[in-house]
Amino acid sequence: MSNIWIVSDSAEVAAQMLTPALALAGSGDTVRAMVTTDEAAKAVADCGVAVLRLQLADNRFESAIAVMAEQIKAAPAKAVLVGATPRGREVAAGLAALLDAGMASEVSEVRADGDAVEVKRYVLGGMAVSTLRLVAPACMSIAGGTFVAPAAAGAAGAVTTLDVPADARVSVESLKAVAREGVDLASAKRVVCVGRGLEKQEDLAIIEALAKALGAETACSRGVAEDLKWMPLDKYVGISGVRLKADVHVSVGISGQVQHVAGIRDAKVIVAVDQNENALIFQAADYGVVGNLYDIVPALTKALA
Amino acid sequence: MPNSIVCYKWVMDEQDIKVNPSTLELATAGAKWKISEYDRNAVEAATAMQEQHGGTVHALSFGGENLKNSLKDVLSRGADSVTWIADASAADADAAVTAKVLAAAIKKAGVPDLIFFGDGSADHYSQQVGARVAALLGLPHVGNAQSVQFADGKLVAERQLRDSIETVKVACPVVVSVLPAANTARIPSLKQILAAGKKPMTAMTTADLGLAADDTTPRQTQVSLLGAKMDRKNKIFKESSVEASVAALVQALKADNVL
Repeated sequence: MSNIWIVSDSAEVAAQMLTPALALAGSGDTVRAMVTTDEAAKAVADCGVAVLRLQLADNRFESAIAVMAEQIKAAPAKAVLVGATPRGREVAAGLAALLDAGMASEVSEVRADGDAVEVKRYVLGGMAVSTLRLVAPACMSIAGGTFVAPAAAGAAGAVTTLDVPADARVSVESLKAVAREGVDLASAKRVVCVGRGLEKQEDLAIIEALAKALGAETACSRGVAEDLKWMPLDKYVGISGVRLKADVHVSVGISGQVQHVAGIRDAKVIVAVDQNENALIFQAADYGVVGNLYDIVPALTKALA
Repeated sequence: MPNSIVCYKWVMDEQDIKVNPSTLELATAGAKWKISEYDRNAVEAATAMQEQHGGTVHALSFGGENLKNSLKDVLSRGADSVTWIADASAADADAAVTAKVLAAAIKKAGVPDLIFFGDGSADHYSQQVGARVAALLGLPHVGNAQSVQFADGKLVAERQLRDSIETVKVACPVVVSVLPAANTARIPSLKQILAAGKKPMTAMTTADLGLAADDTTPRQTQVSLLGAKMDRKNKIFKESSVEASVAALVQALKADNVL
């Protein structure tokens, strides 16, 4: 007779987390949710799950940590699943600390193991998989796209409001929306990703031409975004950046360090183009063409037109 | 004049770790150790803050016996002094244990104005310890920080969120976790390297910190750690011309139904 909690500031991830949460629920267990938007409340309630809709006085998810911990502690809790948005990751860790619980970050698999929970996650830059066992309350964060939301069904769950006071210590000076160029990369079906093999920023034009011919979004390796600043930070693919779920991923001029490969490993088909036949990227690819990207990329663009 | 503590982790360099292709076991013999690169961004943030506003920068770490090999390294990167806690419990420590040890050490040293963390560690990248320490100490946590400044006696930080940049102003004491994008960690100069050895290095034990056995007992157990398999076709197209290779590639993609 335990609760399995879903906690999120994202409607999309909250709905997706219902799948592992419902799978963890044994007979007598109840799935419950705490969310911060009406959209999230509806998405979860539509699946028959009772929801606490948090009213954040200062619009900050982080301010709800103590209030949420109190809710979780009020009854036996088997697991706490938190959506791994940037705010969510911090909230999850703060919650785990107040619950004196173990927490596994950005798990790729979840399963019940008696009264405990067993999860898997990537470590060492994506080179290895760690299988962890956590006892109740087993806390974890789950990235968007890891699970697929269940279909809405049955009678809607009850939605109750819970007020969360502002954190007086933190003053928000500004909150500026960041314009997203194109589609959210994590849900893009086709991606062309460029690395430091590209010689100059102007040459991005050939990458964009290939992306257009392929009907793909463009992305880059971390160095291109962070060091060279040729593309925005939300375009870099890797273990600390975007993790792709694309049908086809074309990697151009990327050596294939494990931290980058961690971001592409879930793609259905991976194509690599690089001039170094010993580059690690070819071990991570289904198909490869070795050679000068300045010859291969335009040829590929032409062949796809 | 904000005083800072910056926490760092001494980790195995993952590039030195080999995966046995048939058993998927990890071979770590001979691996070199390093200060996690994300923590170097935290040290850099604290150092840059000191250059602008004065104050002291004290480094703090929890690890195994070989943690002593990290001391001159962190001192050469800008810290004025370092406290290190080496304990056998570090081998299996999870974020819960690490946070409790660091929180105890920070309390013992006296909670400073600013406590810096990297976004996550290079080995596990759990992204938890900073937020956990803040919760344990009852302090606000400012994570995902792409820039940090000090103004009117408060921390001003820009946070990189999913669809926005949030700028917050927080009264001290405050815990801040900086993103790798926040700065470029400087390479220590020869002068810094030579001066490092003369700076204060203090060893502490978990007993010194008043920690009980339960505090250093992890809240999760690792059932296995194996190399991640990546079963890919590894087919290289090597036709007589670029055009022919590309044509063969396109044909393969069509056969896979992804075009």
